[in-house]
Formats: sequence, C-alpha cells, structure tokens
Amino acid sequence: MSNALPDFDLLRPQSVEEAVAALQTSPSARLCAGGTDLIVNMRHGLVELETLVDLGAVVAMKRLEADAAGLHIGAGVTLRDLAESEAVSESYTAIRQAALAVAGPGHRAVATVGGNLCLETRCLYYNQSHWWRKANDFCLKYRGETCHVAPTGNRCRAAFCGDLAPALMVFGAKIEIAGPNGIRRIALPDLYREDGADHLTLAACEIITAIHIAPSKAKSGYAKVRIRGAIDFPLAGVAIACERGSPSARSFRIAVTGTNSCPLLLDGPAPLADGDDPDAYFGALNKLVQKAVSPQRTTTTGAHYRRLAVAALAARLAKELVDG
Amino acid sequence: MREPLKGHAAGRSVALIDGIEKVTGRAVYTADMETPDCLVGRILRSPVSHGRIVRIDTARAAALEGVLAVVTGADCPHSYGVIPIAMNEYPLARGKVRYRGEPVAAVAARDARTAEQALELIELEIEELAASYTPEQSRAAGAELLHDDKPGNIEREVHDEFGDPAAGFAAAALVREATFKCAEVNHAQMEPHAALAEYDVSRDRLTLHSVSQVPFYLHLTLARCLDLDTSRIRVLTPFVGGGFGARTETLNFEIIAALLARKAGARVMLRLSREESFLTHRGRPDTEVSLKIGLAKDGRITAVQCQVVMSGGAYAGYGLVTILYAGALLHGLYHTPAVKYDGYRVYTNHPPCGAMRGHGTVDVRHAFECLLDRMARALGLDPFAVRRVNFLGAPTTTANGLLVNSYGLPECLDKVEAASDWRQRAGRMEAGRGLGMACSHYVSGAAKPVHWTGEPHAVVAMKLDFDGAVTVLTGASDIGQGSTTMVALAAAEILGIDLGRIRVVTNDSAITPKDNGSYSSRVTFMVGNAAIEAARALRAKLVAAAAKKLDANPDDIECAGETFFVPGGSQSALPFHDVALAALAEEGTITVKGTFTCPPEAQGGKHRGGAVGSTMGFSYAAQVVEVAVDVETGRITVEKVWAALDCGFAINPLAVEGQIEGSVWMGMGQALCEETRYTEGLAIHANLLDYRVPTIVESPEIEVQIVESIDPLGPFGAKEAGEGALSGFPPALVNAVADAIGLEADFLPLTPDRVLDALIKARRAARRKAAS
Amino acid sequence: MKRIVSLVVNGQQFEDAVDDNMLLIDYLREIRRLTGVKRGCDGGECGACTVLVDGRARPSCITFASLCDGSAIETIEGQARNGRLSPLQRAFHENLGAQCGFCTPGMIMAAEALLRRTPDPDDDAIRAALGGNLCRCTGYVKIIGSVRAAAAASP
Repeated sequence: MSNALPDFDLLRPQSVEEAVAALQTSPSARLCAGGTDLIVNMRHGLVELETLVDLGAVVAMKRLEADAAGLHIGAGVTLRDLAESEAVSESYTAIRQAALAVAGPGHRAVATVGGNLCLETRCLYYNQSHWWRKANDFCLKYRGETCHVAPTGNRCRAAFCGDLAPALMVFGAKIEIAGPNGIRRIALPDLYREDGADHLTLAACEIITAIHIAPSKAKSGYAKVRIRGAIDFPLAGVAIACERGSPSARSFRIAVTGTNSCPLLLDGPAPLADGDDPDAYFGALNKLVQKAVSPQRTTTTGAHYRRLAVAALAARLAKELVDG
Repeated sequence: MREPLKGHAAGRSVALIDGIEKVTGRAVYTADMETPDCLVGRILRSPVSHGRIVRIDTARAAALEGVLAVVTGADCPHSYGVIPIAMNEYPLARGKVRYRGEPVAAVAARDARTAEQALELIELEIEELAASYTPEQSRAAGAELLHDDKPGNIEREVHDEFGDPAAGFAAAALVREATFKCAEVNHAQMEPHAALAEYDVSRDRLTLHSVSQVPFYLHLTLARCLDLDTSRIRVLTPFVGGGFGARTETLNFEIIAALLARKAGARVMLRLSREESFLTHRGRPDTEVSLKIGLAKDGRITAVQCQVVMSGGAYAGYGLVTILYAGALLHGLYHTPAVKYDGYRVYTNHPPCGAMRGHGTVDVRHAFECLLDRMARALGLDPFAVRRVNFLGAPTTTANGLLVNSYGLPECLDKVEAASDWRQRAGRMEAGRGLGMACSHYVSGAAKPVHWTGEPHAVVAMKLDFDGAVTVLTGASDIGQGSTTMVALAAAEILGIDLGRIRVVTNDSAITPKDNGSYSSRVTFMVGNAAIEAARALRAKLVAAAAKKLDANPDDIECAGETFFVPGGSQSALPFHDVALAALAEEGTITVKGTFTCPPEAQGGKHRGGAVGSTMGFSYAAQVVEVAVDVETGRITVEKVWAALDCGFAINPLAVEGQIEGSVWMGMGQALCEETRYTEGLAIHANLLDYRVPTIVESPEIEVQIVESIDPLGPFGAKEAGEGALSGFPPALVNAVADAIGLEADFLPLTPDRVLDALIKARRAARRKAAS
Repeated sequence: MKRIVSLVVNGQQFEDAVDDNMLLIDYLREIRRLTGVKRGCDGGECGACTVLVDGRARPSCITFASLCDGSAIETIEGQARNGRLSPLQRAFHENLGAQCGFCTPGMIMAAEALLRRTPDPDDDAIRAALGGNLCRCTGYVKIIGSVRAAAAASP
C-alpha cells in the first residue's frame, strides 16, 4: 500500500559547494540524483526527510572525460550516457556492460553513477510497504529490533545491489568526495562497509562528486545473475578485469556485487601462469569466488544458488577474457 | 472438415474497433474516472494470518477531520461468494481474519493522506490462532479450522471413476507414476484493481464502475451485501486493463467501495495499490499432482489415475469449480477410457485462490504431458506418435460425459511438427539445446453457468434507427481479448454492412442486456451466437422491407456490400439506408435481440459435479518449444515457440493470433519465473520486481498457426482461442529441457535456482549409482 | 512547499503551482488530466507511466514534477496531430500491439524515444528499448511487430 509522500522542502543547488551547504541545513536532508531508488523507497515510507537536495542542476558533476590521466566520470553522469560514451565502450567494457545491466532504459536515462554507487541496500524484509513491515514488526534496518534474515546476528544483512560498483572497482577506481571539510579521495572499496543498515562510509553532508580511473589496457566484462533479461536487480554480479602478462599469463581483478551488504573487491586469484592447466585454474577461481561471498536470504532466490551462480559466471567470464 | 466461411467481415483480420482509444490514451479505465470531488478510499488489512477479532475501535479514525466514512465488518452482515453453495466470505472480516491482508476496515476521506492517517487511528485487537500455510499443515490432526463447517479444512473432495482403471492398468505394457509440484501464480494484469462507487442518497441508488469481468455477478452481490433491490443498482465497466480470471468473481474492494459511498453519501474512488491487487489474489493455487498413466505398447492410454491437492487459500471463491475442472479436463484431449480422479481443495491461511486463465486444467495438463513424454521415450516412441495414437474421433462423448463435436488436434500436431522441422531436428540438437512438445485443450464456455436462472446463456440486442446506424448492445466485458470487435464482425457479416456502420455499446446494466461475463472463454461462442441470431432477426426485417420495395420474394433477396438485391435480377441494388428507412416506416425504431442457449447434450455427465468441464466445444492446441539450458547457472532460454490452435473458425484471425501468443507466453511465465512467495502468510512477491512477469528481453518469437475445424455449434464454426494454448507451454518446456540436458523436472517454475539444484542432485545420484 | 513550475506539456506551455513532493505522474493525471499516463505498479517496476522528458523516456511515477521545471514533457495524448495517429500509434492499432491497452501508452512512448534515435532498429534494439515496459496480454510478439511496422512506415 503505497503511502502519500512526505512533505519536504526541495533545494536545487547549482554547485557542489552549494550542495554541501544545502545538506547542512537540516539533519534529515537527503540527496536526490536520478531519484529512481530514493523515490521508490519514499513511496514505501522508508525515508524520513525535511529537505531534499536535488543534484540535477550541478553541472560540474555531469562531466565525462577521457584523457591521458584516464577516465573522469562525474557522479551526476547518467548510466545511459556512461554506457554510450565512446571512451567507456573502447576501454572499459565491464563498466559499459554493468551500466546497461541496470533496470530498464527509462531508469538508465536518469539514474546516475553516484546514485548507483550509493544505492540503498536491499532485502525482502525491507523493500516492502509500511503495512507489510508493520505486520512483520519492522526490521533492524528500519524501526525494528530484529534482522529477519539472520535473527541471531547483530547486524543488518541487506544486500548491496548496485551493478556499477564492481565494474569500477576492477579498474581501481578512486572516488572524489566533497564535504564540509573540503575534498577527499578514497579508493572505491573504502566507500563501503559490511553493514546493511549503514553500508556507506560517507560522513554527514558528504557527496560523491566524481570517479577517477587510471588508463587501462585490461580486457574486462560484467556478468549478472538474474532471472529476467531486464528490470531485475542483480541476485549477484561479477566484474573482472584481465591483464596480459607473458604470452599466456594473465592476471585478474575480480569484484562482486549483490552477495553482501557491500560490493567486494576480491583478494586474488594468483595470476594464471604460462603452463598452468586452465581448467584447474578456472575451477579454483570458481571456488575462490564461492568462498569469498556470503549471500543471505535477502531475496526470494536462494542464497546458495546465488553463490554458485556468481562463481560459475566469474569462472566463465575469466575464461572468455583469456580466450576472447 | 467443412470449408471455412469466406465472409466479407468474419474471417478477415481487423484492428480492434475500440483500439484507437487505446493507442491515443483516450481509453478511460476505472482509475481514470477520479474527479476532484471523489473521496479517497483506503482499506485496513489484517496483519495476522489467523485470529479472532476481539475489538475494532474506529472512533478516533471517524473523528479525524476530513474523514467522511469508516466501515467495518459490522456494516455488512451478508456473506458473499461466486458459487451459491459456498458463500463464506465477507467484504470486511467478521469475527475472524483468515489471511494476512484480509480487509478489516475501510475509510473514505477527502484525500489520501487523511485516509492513511485514519487507518493508523483504527484500533484493532486480534487474538491470534494457529495458522496453516500448506495443505499438509491444514489437514494435520488438530489443525485449527479456518471454517467451522469444514472439518479437516477440506473445502471440497472429489472422487470420480470412469471406465475400469484397474483393468486398464493391468492391461498396460508400461505404468509410470510421478508427482509434480506447481507453484501458485497470479494474473498480474497490468491494471491494478479499482472501483468507483457513487451513492445517491436522495434516490437510494448506487452506481458502481469497476474493473470486473463479471458485472452481472457483481450487481447481484452488491444487492445482497448492501440489502439493496437490484433495480437500485447500476453497474458499469469502462475499459478494463486485463483480467485473466482475476476479476471473474466479485472482489471485496468492489463491495467496500459501495459500502463507503453509501455511508459517506458520496462518490468514492477506491484504487488498490499493486501490492493490494496481489493480496486480492484469486490466482492459480499451489497444486500437487500425483499422476499414474498406463500405456499399451503402441502408446495407447489404457488407464489414468490422478490425485490433485490444491492449497486454496482462506475462502471458497471458485475453489470447488477449480478442483472439479482439474479432474474433468483429464478427459476430452485424448481417448482416455478409464480415469480415476481424487481431488482435494484445502483451506490455508493465504489469500484466496480463484480462477486463472486455463482454470483448473493447467497444472494437471502439465503433469500429464510431462509423464506421457517420458513414457513415450521409455517405449521408444516419438512424442508426436504417442499423441497421435490416442486421438479422439469427433463427434464423440468422453467417459465423463463431455461432448466433443469438433477436433482439430491432428492438424495442430501436423502444423507444429512441420514448422519446427521436428523430424530433422529432434534428438539431434547440440549440447544444452532441446526441443519439446505438448498438447492442450480448453472449454469454450461452461455449458452450465454459475448462477443457474434458466435464462438463455447470452442475449445480444440490436437497434436500427433513422440514422441508418446499427447499435449492438451487449453485456460482454471486453477485457482486451477483442470481444467487442468480434460482436461487431458477427453483425457486419450477417447484415452485409461495413464495420463503420456499427457501434457496440457494452457493459452498462441500465442499457445493455445481462451477460454472465468474460470467463471460461464463453464470450465468442455464446455471445457470438447470440449476436448472429440478433443480426439475422434484423436482417429478416430489412429483407422484408427490401422485398416489398423490389416487389420480390424475400427468399430471393440477398444483402451484401451495404445493399439489398435480387441476384441476377434486373433491378438495381437498394442502398442499406434506403431499406432501413423503409423498414422503419413499418414500425419505427427497430429493436431486435438474439439469444443463445447451450443444448442439453453439451451440459455434461449426470454425476455430481458433472456440469464442470462441460462445454459446447473444446479448443485444441499443440506446441513445440526450443530451449537452451545453461547447466552452470541453471538458466533456461526459450529460443522459439511454434504453436497451433484449433479455434474452430477465426472470426478475427489477428485477434486469435494475439490470444494464442499471449496465452503461450503466459504459460511461459508460469513455467520459467512466476510464483507467489509467502513468509508466515505474508506475501513477499506482491510487487512487479519479485513477481517476475517476463520482460520483452527474454520473451521469444512465437510462430502461430490457426487450425479451423468448424465446430457445428460455434458461431460461424468458432470456438475459444484465448486459453487453450496456455497449458501446453509448461510441459513442452519441461520436455524440451529433458531433451536438452536429460533433466526430468517435477516442479514449476523452472527458475535457475531450482534447475541448478535439481542438476546437482541428479549428478550426485548418478555418481552414487556409478559407485555402487 | 509549493513552487511554480513551468512546463511544456505536449507542446503547450503551462505554469502551475506544484508541491515539491508531487510526482510527475500525479501532475499529469490530476492537474493536466492526462489520464493516458497509466499507473501500473507501486513505483518504477512496470513502465506503464512512461513519458518523454526532453525527448528521453522515463517512468513518471519515480520523477518529481518540480524537478522537471523548464522541461518539455510528451505523453501519449500529444502523439496524434490533428487527430491523425502517429506512425507508432497507427502501427500498434493495426497490428494489435495493444490488447487491453493498459501498458500501451507507456509502451508507445518508450518506442517513440527509440525511433527518434534509431529510426530503423533491429529486434534486439527494440527489445532493449522496451525492456522496462511490461505487458501482460501480447507476449510482446505483436508489440515488436508494431514497432517494426512503424519504423518501416516512417518517412
């Protein structure tokens, strides 16, 4: 039962500085970029706010440029523009594929890179109507005492379901954050923590303004575990970048989404060396991914399946990047 | 097979006559009728699965500024339900609640926010009772009863035996058994539920606009629940955004809207959210089918034994019809001389199930076609061959008394076999790809209506006036299937006039003749026949007038091309409008009607429940499905579907194609990805992310062929086209998966997780077998 | 808070006082009475409410009206010119791309956005462009056929 939306004041800053200032006007101020995630949650009665700060007029955040220093992606760039960028298509296949894997084209036309990175975590006990959650005594992520996914645990297990984060991670993306104390840069994995109720490390009134990626010669790809060909959030997703060493040696960077409360940049695997048995190597890579992830009962599709499927897709994708 | 009619209207593909409204946005659906003066209705729903209502206090809600009415179970002491002998539901719970989401109270307020605030102010105290979510739990000794008059929580048991199954199994060369579990599914029609109720206090009159497929039943239920004389009620259905069976019975929100409007003395718009539309449910129940088939060496069916257990949800609804259909439609597709059927419809603390496209037959047909395929393989028979050896010969009557007057199944098989290049490709596909096939059938309307009044099954009225326009009046609900166009085509064909001269007025109880509604694929057969009869009556009057003008014998007059003439005669043809004016001169405005009544021989066997499944004509369908299976992720891709359906005669081939494509595809949804899910009775699927209606991206090409067997009773020989093909898809898919990877799946849907799980289990079993 | 927003809706300029929290779908349906914009879900799941905002197809149920200030909005009602159907409307009508018609306005608007950028799309491009629009009647077969027919008919 969708709720009438709460009343709020809308602010439309023109610059990053104004946006940070706008966030400081109210403790419950929230950012809105494309709104495709936030508005749905508002309609479910999951968002309490007095002020909404829309980033749509911050032109500086919409820059998308490739140069010798690599790729600069403004946080306000839409997923559609990201996927259609020539620079991304040429050198960063995983990013393009991940952007195109999000929802449907109508969402991608407005959903932004920053928004996808900051996507609220998802859980079948959380993404429900007010009536539903009330009938179920709410949950640890919002108004409740218990995580219904793992009632004996002490943290929220909601899963991070952004497609883009792993694809950016495998290219070593750094993000630029603006806040009351100026600008800082961190590696993308440092944006996240493994807590479904509080998965972003951003401080109060901070805004992701841009993503930087160094030039890359890696081949890459993104594969998504999903039931349908569109609309679905990832049940799990995996991005891989593969760099060429000696004639048959390859090194892989692997990142996973949808399985944990944050996206994971995996440790390893050790590079594929000349003379390694490929089947054994990719079999081990499969096992490595299985071990690294910990999907929970946050979706109607079983956790064990998501583990197996994402690992299988990872091994297949890695092999394709070597063979292809 | 008779030669199909080559009509000037019937038999030619035409765009829907109400299609312009749909592509321009001008089509007005119920929710579009909201005006600023409408009060906003909202429903308070039970948070628990099963419990006794101890207290409902609405005083604070009623006192809230802007709240005009609050209603509870106390406002309606009358139960309702679509089956007269099983009316055990109240629009707002009384005494007990039986599922999470059951309406308990409702408010009408000036705006949505006020209405929502009012709901929060209603104090509801419920003493919880133990709940049962599966038939097993419900049937267990000591289980809390949902309804006091239904021991064991059994809504209806059916035990039928036709022929001599024991002898049949004894004579069989091969007997196999298997149990299939089919998950519950929902119609998920694109339009969420809505009702607009207006109560005229001065005249004590109720007007209700709704999304109903059955405005007549709705009208009767409103009279019952509101203690109103039927003459004080007017029910209208504007454009309806799909139904698929979701709206073939009166639904609680329709009555609630009326109760609110009366109490507030106002216009109340009650729009349900997508979640609430799911909770209103009436979908296809979770069903377990245990099936045993005996086959002779050549594949002939010697005996069938089938047990069906359905998890029906908390109220009766159509439940007893569903469980009867499941058994009855074991018959009528193949020659099945001996059939034993045991059906159990069980109450559970879930939203009530009901009728959904392919009502009653889908899960049973699934089991049958899967098991038959496996047995064919065991006997070394081709899947087509095993079906061909079991063909019926029409006309015939089945073991359970169902009339089969026309039977185009053989041609359906020939067509899909050729189109899919089955003989060249089956069994020779690359690894991970497979072909599967299955057959199916469905009724063209239930020969006995739910409310037996003795009246004709359908009535169509026509009016011809000074303007020369023909107005057709019908109560048949066009829910997107094209029935309005079908009626116009029937009239145009008989009268020899252009479609442009015809207007069809539908679904206003104050204007249009009563119609039982759009369900069980009855409209083309029954309303089509009534339309033909009405048009013939009108034609007779026009022919008489033309004969007088032409000084000819009426028997010599023909009408075509909007003229009346004597073939080969010397006189010039008379324009339609001139003849119309001549006829009007005799009697003024001409009104005629046509009716259709099902012949007694079509009304089924004499056994208890024998009317269910009885029909004037079955549609028949065959389909071939090609799949690719990813054994690492369990994901199935449907590459292509070839479907053929015998609809008797395609009055509008374009619409028939659309119905076949849509029903095949809906079968695909059930087979691949759709299912409802509950946690402790709480629906976790009640949105379009978790209830996975297939998107265009993974939806395959569907190649359709139409078979025309020309049914002797059908309008121009037509039968139904909108349901018959659905139940063939899931088994064809499962059979294709078996062909592709050797997995014999006993479950629906074949979601990737289930497929992978089954594959892992099969691999383990194979390893154990190899080791031992 | 209310603010005055200036919108061009189907070619006509409007200035309306709109609550900050008003969704574009509600603005179009309730203030502009453009009820061809359909509500099929509880937010962003079905595509029935798809409209064009500055030429881009997007679901109006997850769009704030106030944030469209200065934009051009196109809905199904603006597609026909002087009562003549647009190529897509005609194609959907003639090829039975619409059965119950409830998803049709959103479907046509999503297809319109596609054809403006890609006048001659292949089936994969059609599928990709309509991926966010659910239909429950057609199995999409005749929807793809309709878009193809419109592309072929467009000058």
